[in-house]
Amino acid sequence: MTSAPVTLQESPPSPGPIRQWLISPIGAQLTAIVVFVGLWQLLTLIAERVPGPAEVANFLYVEITGGSHGGIVTGEFWEHFAITLRRFSAGLFIGFTAGLLIGVVIGSYGMARALLNDTVLVLLTMPAFVWAFLTTMWFGISWRAPVLTVAFVAFPFVAINVAQGVRAITPDLRNMSAAFEVSRWKQFRHLILPAVAGYIFAGLRFAIIVGWNAILLSEWFSGQAGVGFRTRYWFDANRYRGFVGWVIVFIFFIVVLDRVVLNRLQTRAFRWRDPIEVEVELAQQEQVGV
Amino acid sequence: MARVDIQRLSKIFPPPQKGGDPVTAIGDISLEVDGNVFVSIVGPSGCGKSTLLNILSGVENPTGGTVSVTEGARPAHLGYVFQDARLLPWRTVMQNMLYVRDDDGDEKAARYLEMVGLSHTHDMFPGQLSGGMQQRVGIARAFSVEPDLLLMDEPFSHLDAITARSLRDHLQELWTATRKTVLFVTHDVVEAVQLSDRIIVLAPGGRIFDDIAIDLPHPRRAADPKVATQQAEILGRFEEMHPTSAPA
Amino acid sequence: MTNIVAESVSEGQNQAHALRTAAGFRRRRYLAVLLGWLFFLAVWWILSAVLGSEARLPSPPRVVQEIRTIFEGDFWTQFWASVIRVLAGFFAAVVIGTPVGFLMGRSKYWGNFLQAPVVVAGAIPGLTYAVMAFVVFGISFWGPVLAVGLIAMPYVAINVAEGVRGVDRRLIDMSTAYGRTESQVFRHVVVPSVLPFIFAGVRLSFSLAWKVGTLTEVFGSSKGIGFQIRRNYQLFNMPAVIAWVLLFVAFMLLLERFVLVRIERRLFRWRQWERNQ
Repeated sequence: MTSAPVTLQESPPSPGPIRQWLISPIGAQLTAIVVFVGLWQLLTLIAERVPGPAEVANFLYVEITGGSHGGIVTGEFWEHFAITLRRFSAGLFIGFTAGLLIGVVIGSYGMARALLNDTVLVLLTMPAFVWAFLTTMWFGISWRAPVLTVAFVAFPFVAINVAQGVRAITPDLRNMSAAFEVSRWKQFRHLILPAVAGYIFAGLRFAIIVGWNAILLSEWFSGQAGVGFRTRYWFDANRYRGFVGWVIVFIFFIVVLDRVVLNRLQTRAFRWRDPIEVEVELAQQEQVGV
Repeated sequence: MARVDIQRLSKIFPPPQKGGDPVTAIGDISLEVDGNVFVSIVGPSGCGKSTLLNILSGVENPTGGTVSVTEGARPAHLGYVFQDARLLPWRTVMQNMLYVRDDDGDEKAARYLEMVGLSHTHDMFPGQLSGGMQQRVGIARAFSVEPDLLLMDEPFSHLDAITARSLRDHLQELWTATRKTVLFVTHDVVEAVQLSDRIIVLAPGGRIFDDIAIDLPHPRRAADPKVATQQAEILGRFEEMHPTSAPA
Repeated sequence: MTNIVAESVSEGQNQAHALRTAAGFRRRRYLAVLLGWLFFLAVWWILSAVLGSEARLPSPPRVVQEIRTIFEGDFWTQFWASVIRVLAGFFAAVVIGTPVGFLMGRSKYWGNFLQAPVVVAGAIPGLTYAVMAFVVFGISFWGPVLAVGLIAMPYVAINVAEGVRGVDRRLIDMSTAYGRTESQVFRHVVVPSVLPFIFAGVRLSFSLAWKVGTLTEVFGSSKGIGFQIRRNYQLFNMPAVIAWVLLFVAFMLLLERFVLVRIERRLFRWRQWERNQ
């Protein structure tokens, strides 16, 4: 290998301020959004039935502010949203509580684990729409179906995570506590609770995400009110801008809730753990998906 | 028999943080190596030893000066041994040996593996071997391409003392049998004296501090009194050059 | 081979004891699994008895009867219909997701640019994909394929990006030092490094893809497990719905545990010794 004499190179001129901003992470993300909207607009030119961004935005504006869509009376946006939120919270509460209880039991007793684990696994594998069907078959068109769909869908996620958290309390730490004769209450407060808190939270977060998707499904199939119902309403009416608009509302809520609120809280709850390890574990949980 | 010709080499890295100073890894090195000699490059951390090897092997480019590594009229073929064995973990030992070749030199690969005592490992994965064995494969690999110039970057520094001693013996066996030109980077003066014909001492900032010739026959045993004497003498000179705070 | 341990007599005894417990442990595990399934069956049976009618919760024997009917019927046609759609969708997800992931991993700019769409794509509920696929393709083979592809693609892309970012620089340096060409480096270093990540992406999205694929069949298919579930739902045939659901669940669990895990073990044989490092 031979190299010719090289003089000290000057570094290339740094890019101008606009270009620099464009290359930055924020610039890139915003560019992505702009490009996406542009592509969407392009798509509407090709496919006739696809509603364009402007139409959807307009629809949403009218729907949310309570105007009228050229003859079709708007749904009461906030009423429907509230209805869905109420059902969602109720179902989540049921699923979470049951999951917490069963999770603690499974995590604490090997026998319980042997008996219950496979049942929970089956429940985990069941698709949400099946629960939507079953609850509708059981309870007909009512509020019960969505609430219970959410409960059934959320329950296994909570149970599995909580069980994992309880099992993660290593015997070493328990032995140490026993050796130092730490009181039961102190053990609970400083050993068990913090250790499990992170997992409980992870379970809750998954439950929220899958539960939210589940309620959309359930209200779609068996609704008489709520976000899912409205989504279907516009779909059935062949007004796809309405369909897309409501879907956006639906996604927007959960993305904001998850990224802004839950993500922060989870990082706090898991503060003491190795972040990479946490990510890997959670990814394994996500394995079974919605 | 390679010829290495380095003239006024310098390597300056841009500052690691904004507003900091550029990092001079190599300030000014001029050096000629000719013939089938074992040359060690010794120095503390930050004296540019690894950077020098990186430039010689083409992984980095110099920012000043010239570097020429030739075998007669053509560019020299290189072999390289790293601190960590750098074997592809998803390929067997034999596949690793063949990866660095451009022909199917199965027999050559097998021969060199035998010379380091690893004939039984052809179809094993690196994960099944100990650190010392992996490094032996790394050395066999470097020798098996029959390079004109062999670059070795602190190859034994990650091994325990016993394994390192054994590997030094393997290395000497290989070298006396093949007599390649070797550039061997190490921070261990004692090791350098045992192995080399010539020791080049670098100072921090990447300049040559000293150039010492060792005139003893090969292969050298670590326990040989003549070797030990040389080691003591050179260590003494080091003490004078870089006095430590601890009493002698 | 790796751990050269001097074997003494007591060591041999320890090993024998360990083996005995290992066998005992395995036996106990099988027993536990068996117990779990028996428990599941028992609870189901009792519940169905308590709830009374067949429309509420059919009993296990009733469902088994239904399953038999299904098998005597055209189970395999339906089954294969679903399997093919999902596999095709996965194939598309890998084919598209891998280059996207490569791009994201190699270039900071593209990583940032594509991050948002990929994440949002992952947040879109399966229902949306199912309905969109139906709107676009109507009742066809391609609807589920599109939906599965879209939902699995982000997982593959994100994982591939991780894999590309994590390629061992030192192996690349070694290859450069030995004068390997770019294509050689790609084939021998990059691809084997990234392959486990592609696989991880597939595994992660596996259940999700199945569920969404089946959901899409509910809307826009004339064949397949999803279609069957919907059909029986509309007929209010509870035993049949439960029967098909159980078959679906059983298939997923079996596929996961036996096929995926086996493939993983063979592809990544070299990793089992990695822990020794």
